[in-house]
Amino acid sequence: MTGAAFAIETACLTLGRFSLRNIDLALEDGEILVLLGPNGAGKSVCLEMIAGFHRPTSGRIMIQGREVTNLPPEQRRVGLMFQNFGLFPHLTVVGNVAFGLRARRRAGHSKAGDGITELLAQFGILHLSGRYPQDLSPGEKQRVALARALAARPDLFLFDEPFSALDARTRDALRDELKALLRQSGVPAIFVSHDHADAALLADRVAVIDRGELQQVGTVPDIFRTPANIFVAEFTGMENVLPGQLLDKSGDLRRVQVADKVLYARGDGPAGNDALLCIRAEEIGLCVMEGTGSLGLQGATNRIAGRVIDATSLGVISRVTVDCGFTLVAYLTHRDIRGLGLTPGQEVVAEIEASSIHLLRQDAADPAALRGEPRSTGRRTMAR
Amino acid sequence: MVFWFIGSLLLAFILVPLIGLATVQSAGNLARVAAMPDVRQAIWLSLLAAFLTAGVAALLGIPLAYVLARSEFRGKEIVIAIVDLPLAVPHTVAGIALLIVFGRQGLIGGPAGLVFGMRFWGNLAGVVVGMLFVAAPYTVNAALIGFEAIDPRLEKVARTLGMGPWGVLVHVTLPLAWRSIMTGLTLTYARAISEFAAVAILAYYPMTAPVKIYELFLQFGLDESSGMALLLLIVSLALFILFRTLARRRSVFMGSGR
Repeated sequence: MTGAAFAIETACLTLGRFSLRNIDLALEDGEILVLLGPNGAGKSVCLEMIAGFHRPTSGRIMIQGREVTNLPPEQRRVGLMFQNFGLFPHLTVVGNVAFGLRARRRAGHSKAGDGITELLAQFGILHLSGRYPQDLSPGEKQRVALARALAARPDLFLFDEPFSALDARTRDALRDELKALLRQSGVPAIFVSHDHADAALLADRVAVIDRGELQQVGTVPDIFRTPANIFVAEFTGMENVLPGQLLDKSGDLRRVQVADKVLYARGDGPAGNDALLCIRAEEIGLCVMEGTGSLGLQGATNRIAGRVIDATSLGVISRVTVDCGFTLVAYLTHRDIRGLGLTPGQEVVAEIEASSIHLLRQDAADPAALRGEPRSTGRRTMAR
Repeated sequence: MVFWFIGSLLLAFILVPLIGLATVQSAGNLARVAAMPDVRQAIWLSLLAAFLTAGVAALLGIPLAYVLARSEFRGKEIVIAIVDLPLAVPHTVAGIALLIVFGRQGLIGGPAGLVFGMRFWGNLAGVVVGMLFVAAPYTVNAALIGFEAIDPRLEKVARTLGMGPWGVLVHVTLPLAWRSIMTGLTLTYARAISEFAAVAILAYYPMTAPVKIYELFLQFGLDESSGMALLLLIVSLALFILFRTLARRRSVFMGSGR
């Protein structure tokens, strides 16, 4: 872990009845990691531990090669941003941006010319210098908050759901801008969120956390298409999680029995006889049944006969439920549904590529289940 | 409309007696009373003692308010209730209780006299003790509201920007709570000036203005006493308005006010 810009190594923390267990993460320079999890999963506690507001009971935290595990927040050089960006309401824009510099001067760190004007100009907020935060738009606030954090020359950025109080359109715009500004700064960032969109649009890598434990760390496709366990599958909106029995291999494909059908999945799958098949709803195509000749495996695509149960519009797309002996959920565009003339009761063929089927171990699907705890669904909240 | 009418009744109830006090006075009488050395001295003592009281209340009350706002502990509600207790205690009772503790043989008064030669009755210190007891809750309560209104995350952000805990207190917390604290101190000051019973029991002499007014009333009747009453009213109202205006302004901690 020596070369990492940031590393947290097997850190544990107990806070009242809540605990973080064995948190392991490392970031490269300029990397953006989204820490994703439901309410009460420990995201914010983890972030505040990195910032120095909670001491880990074991493990260590490294920032740019410096061990900061036992340093107070003011000596860690992290930039922290909360919901609504946490600007000081009693200070003007320039007062806010100069705040970190003033603190550093007091600590005797630098006597260098302040560079505040340049920073304000670089962020396009020079004309706002004399304004107070309550007179700024969300976009302006974000830029002021970033400029303020950068003025203190952080080695790591920490974001705690900065967009959660904003409407969807503003959020989209600010997310794009934030990503560009972070890329420009080259400072690695950890971004806490419960919003998949933040992960999909911001993250170089995603870490999913639940009940104080990291469940999976990986790229966005890793997390969304090959979840490590049932919690990650459910939390990332995996619509189809089907129990099946592993059969023999055929080439590099594994045959799996699901209800009365046999499906082909790429890869070996887990050891043992049972598995869970994870198939994202957007990876399933539907076409109208023409005879019965072309069912089963065609090339690397599973073709399964079924009957439409229901088609419901979700707004942009539609959710189509198909009975194939087991229930499949597929996402289709309205255009597809019109083109196919889908109505309940209609016979269809579901098409799923073998590589779109991810096999999970059934018995070890959820680490929490192994410990005999009730399974989480992502809707649980926890008092801290 | 109805509420306006009902509300204006209360306003009138407050204002009419005060205005009435002014209308019965001739300017000559007011000037004559104002020229009396013992009257001036009593008013000066009241102002000085109230100012000291506000100072002590700030010194002891603001840290207490901060602790109450920022920490959770068992019995916190009880502590808050204790802070409010003086508001519920009749002030004669407060005066007697204070005299017992701060008097010659009191729990505090005894050792303080023996060890430090300090006395808390019949002098300025006694006046301040009486005033502090009845007026301190206003400082604690207002500061508590002020601190609670500050998002603790602002203090955290300030820490990550390189500020130590004391720096955060001085540059973030106190400026943001400034108005509340000043409002509390203004109320404390006003309440301290107006205190009669507790002060009269603990320190009848030297006479504060309310005690002097009471004595003038007993000795010379309404004319003399109402003259001084109006004088005290004018002085304390002027200061009250001045302090309120100061409290409403942006904090003195802030670099660029507007």
